Amino acid sequence: MSRLSRRDFLKLASALPGALALARLLPNRSWPASGQAPSRPNILIFVFDAMSARNLSVYGYPRKTTPNIERFAQRATVYNAHSSAGSFTVPGTASLLTGLYPWTHRAINDAGLIARNLLDRNIFRLVGEQYHRLAFAQNLWPVYFFDQFQKDIDEILPAGSFSQLDFVFGERFKNDPLNAQRVLDDFFFSQGTAPKSLVFSLAERISLHRAVAHTNQGGYPNGLPQNHQYPLYFRLPAVFDGLMSTVESLGSASLAYFHLYPPHDPYNPSKKYFRTFDDGWSPVDKPMHPLGDHWSHKDLYRFRRAYDEYLATLDEEFGRMLDFLESHGVFETSYVVVTSDHGELFERGERGHVSPLLYEAGIRVPLIISSPGQKSRQDVNSPTSSVDVAPTLAHLAGNPLPDWREGELLPLLGGQELPERSIFTLYALKNPAFAKLSRISLAMRKGSYKMLFYRGYYHSGDKFELYDLQNDPEELHDLYSTGSAIAKSLQEEVLAKLEAVNAPYKS
Amino acid sequence: MIYTWTTLWFFWSLPSWLFYLNLGEVIVLYAYISVINLLESLLVLCVPLGLSVVLPQKWFRDSFVSRGASLVILGLGYAMFLALQLRTSEAYPGALLKVWSIALAVGAIFLLVFMAGKTPLVKKVIEVIAQQATILLFVYLPISLISLFIVLPRVL
Repeated sequence: MSRLSRRDFLKLASALPGALALARLLPNRSWPASGQAPSRPNILIFVFDAMSARNLSVYGYPRKTTPNIERFAQRATVYNAHSSAGSFTVPGTASLLTGLYPWTHRAINDAGLIARNLLDRNIFRLVGEQYHRLAFAQNLWPVYFFDQFQKDIDEILPAGSFSQLDFVFGERFKNDPLNAQRVLDDFFFSQGTAPKSLVFSLAERISLHRAVAHTNQGGYPNGLPQNHQYPLYFRLPAVFDGLMSTVESLGSASLAYFHLYPPHDPYNPSKKYFRTFDDGWSPVDKPMHPLGDHWSHKDLYRFRRAYDEYLATLDEEFGRMLDFLESHGVFETSYVVVTSDHGELFERGERGHVSPLLYEAGIRVPLIISSPGQKSRQDVNSPTSSVDVAPTLAHLAGNPLPDWREGELLPLLGGQELPERSIFTLYALKNPAFAKLSRISLAMRKGSYKMLFYRGYYHSGDKFELYDLQNDPEELHDLYSTGSAIAKSLQEEVLAKLEAVNAPYKS
Repeated sequence: MIYTWTTLWFFWSLPSWLFYLNLGEVIVLYAYISVINLLESLLVLCVPLGLSVVLPQKWFRDSFVSRGASLVILGLGYAMFLALQLRTSEAYPGALLKVWSIALAVGAIFLLVFMAGKTPLVKKVIEVIAQQATILLFVYLPISLISLFIVLPRVL
């Protein structure tokens, strides 16, 4: 029989005043009835961390990983060539939240921050004060951005909300959460290294080990879903139940940003989907890349399978969310956005996403947006970028477009298809944030062509690759060496862009 | 020992912080770190002080410097050993964290502390170490006090 521990009791006791306060608020904050035209549509954004569009059946992946997202797509606009502007959480999320490219917002390092002079540029400010703006992330790096945007967010849910085990402490210091998180969660209590202090850190680590060992991990053969960097362990049904009750408590004119950690590594599918894709299917074998981690094909296959199973686990819960949104009439009154901050690679010896390799699997992410009352699927095939989301949200909220925007309005949501527009993705993890970009990789998509550019990785100097994604979607045939006119033109454009963004920096 | 362990890790993290934080922000972080170390040190100090109150005078208070210093050195040394074993979040060093294992280690530490007070040479060495280590107080204590003035207005 399960026992209520002291920690559980304290958690319940601390949640009680909040629950009572919420209960008092509920009668005044209900969704407009289905069919009733909203004066300002609600906006719900679901960001699934590290969700590559290349692994989603809704985008044509052979494994049936996302039947429920497919169901969602039947009533939404599907962006088929959508790229994140960054290839891991910090730059990817910062671009999504600000509508700026990484070279502008400068959040390019692990746990990095958005440039202090640009903090008024964010989706929360763009939709305006007339919206109730709520933010939740299970990944602490987006939480840092929420802290930076504090003035523009009405409600920030703790990262540990809906979790089974929560050892995240910094955000409890309400007056200075950014520094408290940096010191406590990112330094003293960071995982993967020895405890940073001999009393508190050690005590935390021992308590965590004991708590994990005594936590019921049933239903998840690889262990409970968790944030690998910060000690949060959770069950997906509980997380989605929590999100549903959060959505239920929102009033009209709300913007809710939900950033969920799955399907980010570690891939912990539920028992139902564990080994589901042990099907013998194998992706196209690609050559090792010198900048990759040199994982074997066999290992990559194993990781990909677990990732696909984790996706299916997540999709099942998203299906429950869809049922909830349908039964509560939310689709009639709201924009519902599904996207990701970056993708996930299982090719060329590389696994994961913190990588200079900017191939499609790592940067192509889903973007599916359901408009209020939309009943049928629409497809957009021209390239779009995560920097387009912020200005589009401003437009959907009925506000003017900011003149500082670097993205465009999304097609079919106020914008037009711009097939020849240039879209960029930057990886600059090992470049100081406020210095010239000198150790980077950069992807530029233009029409059906994509150029990859590496600076600071090869002794021989800059390196380019060029692919025709229309005829070579797997990026197997590098066209750069052909010396074609398109190669020269794209190379010039990449170098000119880099020179322009480096202009304000001396070294 | 507490300050030095954390300061070493601070310098390990510093290059990464300098990538995206300015000097002022790094100083604020170090202030938080110092304050936490101060709290930890006070907490650790309570152990020998408490023992000197609880135990008979002959057992502990009469050789407070040697026994107190050896207790702290051995106790924190054991903490360092544990910390190094808990380097990853994946491996669970079960036996190391069992109550009997920790009790055994604590018992051994107390035995060594008792012996330290009995052996003149060891006693002398520990007293010299304790004496020399007080110099660190003149460094860490003012830093911690200044840090308190930086941190308190931020968190309160």
